[in-house]
Amino acid sequence: MSDETATATTTGGAAADGGRTAERRSRGRLASVAWHLAALALLAVILYPLVWVVGAAFKPSGDIVGSTQLLPTRPVLDNLQRAMEGIAGISALVFLRNSLVLAGASVVGTVVSSALAAYAFARLRFRGRGLMFVLMITTLLLPFHVLIIPQYIIFQQAGLVDTYAPLLLGKFLATEAFFVFLMVQFMRQLPRELDQAARIDGCGYWGIFWHVVVPLSRPAFTTAAIFTFIWTWNDLLAPLIYLNTPEKYPVTLALRLFIDQTATSDYGAMIAMSVIALLPVVLFFLAFQRLLVQGMATSGLKG
Amino acid sequence: MARRARSRTYGLTAVALAAGLVAAGCGGGSGSGNVELRYSWWGNADRAELMQQAIDLFEEQNPGITVTPTFSEYDSYWEKLSTQTAGGGMPDVLQMDFSYLREYADRGVLLDLNEQTGENLDTGDLLENFQTAGEIDGARYAVPIGGNVFALFHDPAAFEEAGAPAPEPGWSWEDYDEAVRAVTGSTGADPYGGSDYTNLIWVFELQLRQEGGQLFTEDGELGFDEQRLAEFWEQGESLREDDQVVPASKAVQALPVSPLGADLAASEFSWDNFLARFAEEAEAEVELSPVPTSDPDRLGQYLKPSLMLSASAGTEYRAEAATLIDFMINDPEVAEIFGGSRGIPATTTQREAAEFSGVDAAIAAYEDELLDDLQEMPPAPPAGAGALEAEFIRISEEVGFDRMTPEAAAAEFSAFAERTLNP
Amino acid sequence: MVSTALSHDSPPSAGRGAAERTRSAAPRRRRGRPDREGLAGYAFLSPWILGFLLLTMGPMLASLYLSFTDYNLFTAPEWVGLDNYRALFRDDQWLQSVRVTLVYVTVSVPLKLAGALAVAMLLVRPRRGQGFYRSAFYAPSLLGASVSVALVWRALFSDDAVVDRALSSVGIDTGGWVGNPDYALGLLILLAVWQFGAPMVIFLAGLKQVPRELYEAADVDGAGRLRKFGSITLPMISPVLFFNLLLETVNAFQVFTSSFVVSNGTGGPAGSTLFYTLYLYQQGFTQFRMGYASAMAWMLVLGAGLVAVLLFRLSRAWVYYSGDDGR
Repeated sequence: MSDETATATTTGGAAADGGRTAERRSRGRLASVAWHLAALALLAVILYPLVWVVGAAFKPSGDIVGSTQLLPTRPVLDNLQRAMEGIAGISALVFLRNSLVLAGASVVGTVVSSALAAYAFARLRFRGRGLMFVLMITTLLLPFHVLIIPQYIIFQQAGLVDTYAPLLLGKFLATEAFFVFLMVQFMRQLPRELDQAARIDGCGYWGIFWHVVVPLSRPAFTTAAIFTFIWTWNDLLAPLIYLNTPEKYPVTLALRLFIDQTATSDYGAMIAMSVIALLPVVLFFLAFQRLLVQGMATSGLKG
Repeated sequence: MARRARSRTYGLTAVALAAGLVAAGCGGGSGSGNVELRYSWWGNADRAELMQQAIDLFEEQNPGITVTPTFSEYDSYWEKLSTQTAGGGMPDVLQMDFSYLREYADRGVLLDLNEQTGENLDTGDLLENFQTAGEIDGARYAVPIGGNVFALFHDPAAFEEAGAPAPEPGWSWEDYDEAVRAVTGSTGADPYGGSDYTNLIWVFELQLRQEGGQLFTEDGELGFDEQRLAEFWEQGESLREDDQVVPASKAVQALPVSPLGADLAASEFSWDNFLARFAEEAEAEVELSPVPTSDPDRLGQYLKPSLMLSASAGTEYRAEAATLIDFMINDPEVAEIFGGSRGIPATTTQREAAEFSGVDAAIAAYEDELLDDLQEMPPAPPAGAGALEAEFIRISEEVGFDRMTPEAAAAEFSAFAERTLNP
Repeated sequence: MVSTALSHDSPPSAGRGAAERTRSAAPRRRRGRPDREGLAGYAFLSPWILGFLLLTMGPMLASLYLSFTDYNLFTAPEWVGLDNYRALFRDDQWLQSVRVTLVYVTVSVPLKLAGALAVAMLLVRPRRGQGFYRSAFYAPSLLGASVSVALVWRALFSDDAVVDRALSSVGIDTGGWVGNPDYALGLLILLAVWQFGAPMVIFLAGLKQVPRELYEAADVDGAGRLRKFGSITLPMISPVLFFNLLLETVNAFQVFTSSFVVSNGTGGPAGSTLFYTLYLYQQGFTQFRMGYASAMAWMLVLGAGLVAVLLFRLSRAWVYYSGDDGR
């Protein structure tokens, strides 16, 4: 019930609710306070582990493993310092830049290529579409560990090992079925009348795609962009297999170098580096989550 | 060799894609000109730094050879190396582990370095115990860079306080068990006197060697029977049941730190290079101590290659690869750079040139003292040994958690070993 | 078999009604149009087709072939027929990994989706600080499954750590969970549920797509909250719900990293977190039995594929695509 009133005060604010009384408003405010309290309580539980990780970055390195304490008693900065110094003379900034390049390019490639494929799957009819859709879903089912070696052979033969091509090519060719399927599900929701209206206006398939489907699929694109960025950022296996030169390593690969089970491990620097590595992702999410807000302006469409 | 490298990738290539430009390693030594050698190793950031210094020095001494390094941590390293090897992209020179040696050597992907010894590679200065390390059936697939010895670690203060006898050379397993009980009793299990050593395959090997046996035979079979393994797991039972050693649940919980490092135990078995780790992790002052033995004249210990170097069978630059390996094991300046961080050096020159400080000095002293009592190293473990080690850990956990009897566990391990070693 | 069952449901114009209507509505254009539409379809799909042919199909066929061979990575594969598949059913550890994975899938997926949907509903309406809330609820998923996660999980669920203390204070004494084979799988399920950010974001996007007018109309009819949820929200987000259900299920079948990181790759303690793909990885990359690992992979494709087909079939009954049915 609190939800209902909240709808009224917020979304309905601009709409016609002139008949609401002041008493109802104050009840809405109360509900809003209750909502915030509940959300914050839930967050406290959910974020506890994350706070521990950030706190650990400021604990003396030897105290981290097995520490049940949330925050350091005496915060130290030398973990961060060692992390920023990087590895073997390569600064942490280089690793961060590499990650940024990879994640940025992946976002562009994935969104563009998946949107094209999804449009075809969701809105066009052609021979073999059903079969291809099944093939795409099947690629989701196969564990990637058995594909590593055959894929490596392809890139090795093509002379592309130790470049970013093996990490990016697939992104530009819509090989991530997850995103294609995600967009298909969204595009199937768009009213067909829009296509017909656009066709009457003289639009071809490209025109419909560009002027109707793309603008309306923004929540799906945003979602795909966010996931691509974060998942590429956190990806470990592909960079590990394909990159040889340490100067090309992304930050996830680099931070594992602080841990060595055969000798000593610097958990302090490792955690510090993973906290540093979190920052760009957090910023990216903060920036893009805004786009998730904008829903469909359906009133303009249904006409 | 070149043909072999080619056929290796073919089976897959034929299916995976239209065959075409299979990179055939064109065998044989190469001439002058600028040569790029790819060199990969596992290790942490510190090692990467030291390696870079060594590589700079090598490039300075060997104009015309450029070394391109690749490094990752241990688990990642093996995953990457196996993929590269299967896909024809193996590095020219690579760090090798004793337990993986056969896995690679038996399948013909490593270069027989004997063809380079005397020319570009000098192995004459290797310690006596290491003369044949890395040899399989007369071919030398790897050369050791450093060595470690298995050891007992203990916290003398805790032992003394409990009135437990300090470890001394030639003491027995019963003596050790008693000391563990004494410490646990006196500290009220904080810390325990020891951890459950029956989940370490290396302790099992140690005991077998003390009895004149071995873990794996020369021809790659188990060197013990099911009965003996059951006895080994039974050995820990009374200590576990009386709650005298760190319980399995606590040990698992402390990972990736071991019980001694987590201050849960006052003693533990491990390879001597772990002293560096314990010194950093544990609150207590930890010492390297003599291992218990069932036969005072036979300690069962040996110098184990901690790190080895191999070259790819398909490398285009055999001579240069051998030169780099030679440099890494023989050059005194390299020893100065690394100190004891690769294990105690494998050649006399490097052993003398290296300056050990702190923890490394303690390890070196421990090894020096034992040098005369060490026995010959075992043959390289068979392909599949890595899997057996992992299975040993899993099954001993089942025993530790009391979900399996030692007899049942031994039977299960034997069956697994049978399948793995004779597929 | 997977293919026929799925193709019936393949989304595009599974809305058969719509297709027929279009055809009958424009009988004269029918002859020329399918060609143009077909061409456009292939054109839009060309990057995917290229990617599939170049990067995906080969490796998939290769792994299928390898599953009938003995392949140790370094020497040429040897044909052994169905041996690998037969061996699976005699392999206790494989059976254990199937059990563990099935438990994980059936417990973690519903919990995670329910949590994600609940939070998404909570966050969907514009409020003060919504950006903060959305990001904060997503934050756990940013960590991925890194080494830090392994460390923090130990820090939370060990003996005398925060969870144990909280439970003890209300009289429940469980001891440490991390080192207990009976609890270890539960912890990984909890980890999965904790990282509910991805389905939450997708739900959010789906909820945003629901036309507001529908709610306004329902308000006029005096519908209650539960009613609105059941008759507007659920049907309208059903494609997204279906997507999340399918993908989370498929992904849960392939869960790997969390156990790999938390158990240091062992699947321990005592095999209690030996997930299917973790065992597959051990077989392929530690034991160098890539033929066997490939057979495992294709058994998974078969198993997870059957579940996927089932979900697709059932989806016809409850998933509603407004774009398929026109008016």
